[in-house]
Amino acid sequence: MTTKIDANKRKHWERELSKCIRCGTCRQFCPIHQVLDDESYTARGKLYLVDQLLHSDFLLSDGFVEMISKCVMCKACAANCPSGVNTYQIFMEMRQEIVKERGLSFTKQSIFRALHWRKFFDFGLSCGAWFQRLIFKPAPDGPGQVARVPLPMAGFNQRRIIPNLPKRHLKQLVPLESKAQGKELYRVGFFTGCMLNYVYPQIGQDLIRVLNLHGVTVITPREQHCCGTPLFTSGEVEIARDLIHNNLTAFGGLDIDYVITACGSGGLAWKEEFAKVLGESHPDYGLALELGRKTKDISEFLIMIGLNLEELKPLQQKVTYHDSCHLNRGQKIHEEPRQILRALAGENYVEMKKADACCGSGGSFNLKYYELSRQINQKKTGYIAESGADVVAVGCPACLMHIQDGLEQDGIQVEVKHIVELLAESYGLHEQQKEERS
Amino acid sequence: MRVGATVTEAVLDELRRIVGKEHVHTEIEKLMVYSFDSTFQNHLPEVLVKPHTVEETAAVVKAAAQYGIPLTVRGAGTCLSGGPVALEGGILMEMTAFKRIIEINAAEGYAVVEPGVVTNELIAAAEEKGLFYPPDPSSSGMSTVGGNVAECAGGGRGVKYGVTRDYVLELQLILPDGQCITVGNKVDGLTGWLDLPMLFTGSEGTLAIITQITVRLLPKPQAIRTALVQYAQLDAAAHTVSAIIGAGVVPTTIEIMDQMTLRAVENFLQIGLDTSKAAFVLLEVDGEPQEVELQLEQVIQICKENGAVEIQVAHDERERAALWKARKSTSGACGKINPTKIGEDIAVPPANIPKMIQAVKEIAEKYRLNMVVFGHAGDGNLHPNIMTDKRNTEEMERVNQAIDELFARALALGGTLSGEHGIGFMKAAYVLQELGRDGYLAQKSVKDALDPQGFLNPGKIFIEKELELQHE
Repeated sequence: MTTKIDANKRKHWERELSKCIRCGTCRQFCPIHQVLDDESYTARGKLYLVDQLLHSDFLLSDGFVEMISKCVMCKACAANCPSGVNTYQIFMEMRQEIVKERGLSFTKQSIFRALHWRKFFDFGLSCGAWFQRLIFKPAPDGPGQVARVPLPMAGFNQRRIIPNLPKRHLKQLVPLESKAQGKELYRVGFFTGCMLNYVYPQIGQDLIRVLNLHGVTVITPREQHCCGTPLFTSGEVEIARDLIHNNLTAFGGLDIDYVITACGSGGLAWKEEFAKVLGESHPDYGLALELGRKTKDISEFLIMIGLNLEELKPLQQKVTYHDSCHLNRGQKIHEEPRQILRALAGENYVEMKKADACCGSGGSFNLKYYELSRQINQKKTGYIAESGADVVAVGCPACLMHIQDGLEQDGIQVEVKHIVELLAESYGLHEQQKEERS
Repeated sequence: MRVGATVTEAVLDELRRIVGKEHVHTEIEKLMVYSFDSTFQNHLPEVLVKPHTVEETAAVVKAAAQYGIPLTVRGAGTCLSGGPVALEGGILMEMTAFKRIIEINAAEGYAVVEPGVVTNELIAAAEEKGLFYPPDPSSSGMSTVGGNVAECAGGGRGVKYGVTRDYVLELQLILPDGQCITVGNKVDGLTGWLDLPMLFTGSEGTLAIITQITVRLLPKPQAIRTALVQYAQLDAAAHTVSAIIGAGVVPTTIEIMDQMTLRAVENFLQIGLDTSKAAFVLLEVDGEPQEVELQLEQVIQICKENGAVEIQVAHDERERAALWKARKSTSGACGKINPTKIGEDIAVPPANIPKMIQAVKEIAEKYRLNMVVFGHAGDGNLHPNIMTDKRNTEEMERVNQAIDELFARALALGGTLSGEHGIGFMKAAYVLQELGRDGYLAQKSVKDALDPQGFLNPGKIFIEKELELQHE
């Protein structure tokens, strides 16, 4: 193994590894360690093993691969490391080495292959909407559904509640260009990400309406694709680079001021990881940097251009906010969503305990380790319940799905909504939509 | 029976029978991540065992004794002296499953906790009831109360409030023969007899296994005032510390930071510290509001007399947090100077703080090393830190020589080897220098009386063979 790691990567790793003073601060921030109480999953433990991989005859064992894969990639260890060890990067690159040596797990392989061909994936998920009734049944109470039969291969067990898949995708529901209301102040490209496109198109529609109201014309390129995060964080770089290339091409030629995202990982991918995954020698590297600089999360963008306060109707419900890991620690967006929510809810905004603790979703992590991700989630739903809020607002649809599942299973009557849904509601854009329909 | 027998299949079966097979680990990856604490020493245990009840713990101890296998106990593994490292292999017993806070008794001012409770959780639980558990080692976010008791951990509030030892009232222990006993009591920790709680506090797992702890809680101080004082000379800062203690004022905290520390912190946080200043002193006083104001005035007066060039006083909690931020970030920030940070821990009488700081500077120069000094100087506790690169073997040799000299100088100034980190095996080789031969043998006779086999945490504190000292 050691001989296969290229010299540059090795040098970078060694530098990072020598910074770890084994103080164990990661113990108190790692959501996996919090649940499993096992040093094997702390950053300092894993860093030591990576070190041994480089400097001793320790080999890439099954146990080590398990330790490296049982991580939500929430960045909590990296953000809180007093020595500033870039654990996230090392673990991601370690996963790449593992894939090189061993290949991907079968589940991930199938999903990722499908992702490679967008049209096929589109078709698969459209069919999903029709066929899901055969496989899933409505959840005993509340929205969503549970599997009729266990589907371990797809990471769904019988308990899991997943949302009803819509019959039409976001890109089928919205025009290529949605014009600004009144004077056009900005033109933006909307990167929907898979979750908004396939699972929560209504959130994407709300986002477009809210932006239009703010004098923003929104272009939703048809050729955009999965951001690649589930792939490159799992160590699959080749397919990820294809996806990134696709996305950069889809947005590269557009006449836009900004790229807008509404999910934690998607935004982080555009802002930082596209360039990192491509590497400096890739022909798209420059474009990745350029579009990365133009990328704004929706909350960040609205605060930047000035939130329309005049038409904002105060929210009567008590609302709290959950920080998505990749939005908060990844994109460093934590104040903007709260500013929006305070503007919306005023005194009705309450801060929950450990708002920045991971919800346990971890993207494809929860497909592989559903029970563990539920255990992490249970802490989160507990804090939500404790806050006394009626609604928990999120800035990331992956968190939304996972928290909704958790609240349902724990029998906690709290709604989960994306911030733009709350904004659209408050601006009366939902009623407007109903009127348009009738 | 000679201690040091290896863990055979029969031993493993016995351990699995006791704690259940899911809590017995021999996988190499697992043993590797459990082979270290917050020091740079690694020793693989042969088996990792995680008991969940007192009965299981006692049975593991009995089994280890019966088979003559070394038994090392571990909490969160954040020790800075190698205490929970399985130096001679054998069984490593992890106590983190014991995480219940059993009772917080506000009326009588005590808390009963299991050893695996994280220190900050105890502090928070006490605070919820308006009470105060003062010992706050820098690792309190992850360290366990059991580990704190075993190592007699200190912390920033030591000047006024003392260290863990001053709060231990009662301990439930498993002795080396597997008997479960309780020492001390919940009222006064049992004074007037042999002070057994104090004997076991700081014994680093060499005498018994701690399974339950009762600590004293204090009423929460009503007011706290914090000041950050800057000096043009490090020496002036050091003299201030001695002067404050000499004047009979007892602040909660006196923290000192030298210029190199300041530069590292400013580099890391970019909070606008004046790095042209040679030293900062962070002072905190607490108590009744009126008394606190008076103390603050006194302390500021002493700072001025000793050449302070700037004094900032925090007016609210937010400003207080800002002043503390610099000190709390020292450890991590210093790690950026050079990749490997070797944090040492010594204590000298407060009057000798200026001399000790001078000694650190001389040692750094002599061995051509990057060294910074900061610490809870109020109780004489300093943490000279060497910034090095563990990949550089030539420099590491100089580091070891510097550490030898550091300890020798501290002892010569009437100091001690460990302010708050314990002896473990990192400092075991220096024990004779501090205790002398007879003093060492007196301690060893206590060890021999309780653990004649010597299977509890072997290689720590008591290493006469290496010290070339024959026990008679």
